Amino acid sequence: MTAPTERGSIFADILRYRYENGMSDTLNKLKLNVARGEFVGLMGRTGSGKTTSLMLLNGLIPHFFEGEFEGEVYANTMNTSRYRVQTMARFVGLVMQDPETQIFGITVEKDVAFGPSNLGYSKEKILGLVKTSLKAVGLQGYENRLTAELSGGEKQRLTIAGVLAMEPEILILDEPTSELDPAGKVEIYQLLIELRKSQQVTILISGHDSEEMLHYTDRILVLDNGSIAWDGKPENLFYNTTITEKYGIRSLEADGIKQKNIIKKDRKNTDTNIVIESRNLSFKYQNGYPALHNINVKINNGEFVALIGKNGAGKTTFSKHLNGLLRPSEGQILINGRDIKDMTTAELSKDVGYVFQNPDHQIFAATVREEIEYGLKNQSLSDDVREKRILDALEFVGLEKFKERHPFTLGKGERQKLAVATILAMEPGILVIDEPTTGQDWDNTQKMILMMENLHRKGHTILAITHNMRLAEEYADRIIVFSEGKILHDSVPIELIKNIQGEINAN
Amino acid sequence: MLIEYYPSGSYIHKLDVRTKCLGFLTLTLISFIFYSPVINLLLVLFSWFLLFSMSTPLSRVKQILKPLMPIFVIMLVITGFTYPSVNFHSEQHRKILFTLLPGGLLAFSLGGLLYGLTLVLRIFVMILASTVITVSTPIEDILQLLKKLKMPHQLAFVIATGIRFIPTMQKKSEMIQEAQRARGSEIGKGGIVKSIKSYIPVLIPMIVDSLRMSDNLAIAMLNRGFGAMKTTTDLYEIRMFPRDHIICAVLVLIIIAALWARSQNIGAL
Repeated sequence: MTAPTERGSIFADILRYRYENGMSDTLNKLKLNVARGEFVGLMGRTGSGKTTSLMLLNGLIPHFFEGEFEGEVYANTMNTSRYRVQTMARFVGLVMQDPETQIFGITVEKDVAFGPSNLGYSKEKILGLVKTSLKAVGLQGYENRLTAELSGGEKQRLTIAGVLAMEPEILILDEPTSELDPAGKVEIYQLLIELRKSQQVTILISGHDSEEMLHYTDRILVLDNGSIAWDGKPENLFYNTTITEKYGIRSLEADGIKQKNIIKKDRKNTDTNIVIESRNLSFKYQNGYPALHNINVKINNGEFVALIGKNGAGKTTFSKHLNGLLRPSEGQILINGRDIKDMTTAELSKDVGYVFQNPDHQIFAATVREEIEYGLKNQSLSDDVREKRILDALEFVGLEKFKERHPFTLGKGERQKLAVATILAMEPGILVIDEPTTGQDWDNTQKMILMMENLHRKGHTILAITHNMRLAEEYADRIIVFSEGKILHDSVPIELIKNIQGEINAN
Repeated sequence: MLIEYYPSGSYIHKLDVRTKCLGFLTLTLISFIFYSPVINLLLVLFSWFLLFSMSTPLSRVKQILKPLMPIFVIMLVITGFTYPSVNFHSEQHRKILFTLLPGGLLAFSLGGLLYGLTLVLRIFVMILASTVITVSTPIEDILQLLKKLKMPHQLAFVIATGIRFIPTMQKKSEMIQEAQRARGSEIGKGGIVKSIKSYIPVLIPMIVDSLRMSDNLAIAMLNRGFGAMKTTTDLYEIRMFPRDHIICAVLVLIIIAALWARSQNIGAL
């Protein structure tokens, strides 16, 4: 074959790639061809090879991750095996998933300047690039802000600015919107659209959100088992349920059933016992920042409540009061009718289970079994009861066969199930689940939702903190919308939709 | 000494880091050449005044000094007993206040007590004067200074990144502790063995997460072209202004004056 000659184009022909110590090939027979100025979405299940194929394009593979590599990659007409990653970085900008580990500067300006100063540009040129990049991502005026104090969305935009400051011809982003709230997602996409228009940058973006991909990309590549399984226009993909099901992508055809589901929803599990009550709850952080104002909520036994709202609106702050991780500045919290003022979080853990978003923040044991046992050690149980609870929890989440496995050898979806099982084994009546579907592919999203449905059916009261409107609308009995530390709406899903539509019409 | 940059914009903040270092040297030098606790007390008061005039959060400074107090008391006692009283110039300082054992053994001399006091005050001077620097100087200025002293820029990068990640790691540790507390663990409670053991569920996720982060950081550094060129561009350079030159000149005069005074046997014990 002849090397591509068009600047900003991507060409890859990979026979196979296997990570060092890898059990099998992560990529095989992968062919990729992207023209200058295209906006391409990369989709596929977790583990299908998306991140791996993105890391090929600036030479991280084979330079940083050596492994077994057979094939050729040309990005911006440069053969990646002949250039160092640092040299490729000038032309191919790669934004990885976790913004936290991509920010180097103590201040915003220093961070954006990091790339161009590595390239040895003059001071004047760097300051100019910092200014235009910050403007492009909507962070103008942030120059002297401390990076540690930025919000999640601002950090995400900063990482993009840091790469833009090197003026790449190709911009590659690995799931840049997965952690953001809907407003934050729109901002990122608008920024990308604008970039392509003004600078003819080629954009390759990976993600799981079908709606976003349909709205913003020109073309979708679907990865399956390390090779491109489907390539075409987004409108030909998302309405073809045979293909979407095959590759674990959310179909947009199915949206029609939604209305039926809402009507179908019965509230038979709910009784009139109030299990959670907050009275005039207000909370201020130590630095004086007010996070909650006068929250009054009553939640009945067996309700499935979705807590929604922007990042920083107070959903998580409210939820952390329910098991005493945070204590009210003013007001009271009652769990099962009892003021929890004098109860420790450990005591409350028997009544209120809290599943955090990142399972890796809790997994520490050498086997799946021991991991679940840990929470039970703090409750005085007989050996038989303890054993039964462990097995029941494992069975419920479907991890029985992994009982003696090391937790870190499990996939991310399985680790999250394990996190749920550790809480479940403690048999709390109330379950708070923090962003259960964030960053998950469609298969795992469905599995998590199904699991929550089953928990609800089992009689648990469920509070799901989520940005996933589908989850909220279709499965919750009730939606509580937080905004700026207050409750904006509190109603059943169908009324909420009417309400919001009413507000939109009124505006 | 341990307090981070506190941007209050005082006149000391505006000085060049080199001027501040010379100031620190001057204070330490004076405190070391004079043995009199009175002079050292004046230096402590002066450093305290500097911190106060920079609107430093003084409660934080007190927090740093507090755990050192027992050490100071031990120093006073030990020097009081062990410093041979014959070493003192004036009769008054050779006076024995009391003896612990009969026969003049373990005698506690007035001079020893005063000398101990001087030692303690010297430590105070160094802590307070270095705090003046750290409170008033952004880390970038200090790195620039080290770079001017021919430190390789990779090392400067490591230090700056380390500092950048302090709040991140603090937040991680909080999140992990919350996750484990929600599972009913009581971190840091119980007897010594139990409380140490209770930290294992926090430490392991912390270590695993740090390893993952360090890999990601290495990738992100390459993505940003780290090491593409032999040198990197500095956005800001530290600069001496006329006021810095004037203050440095004054400081040098003070050092000369102090050395002369010492040669006249002022401030001895």
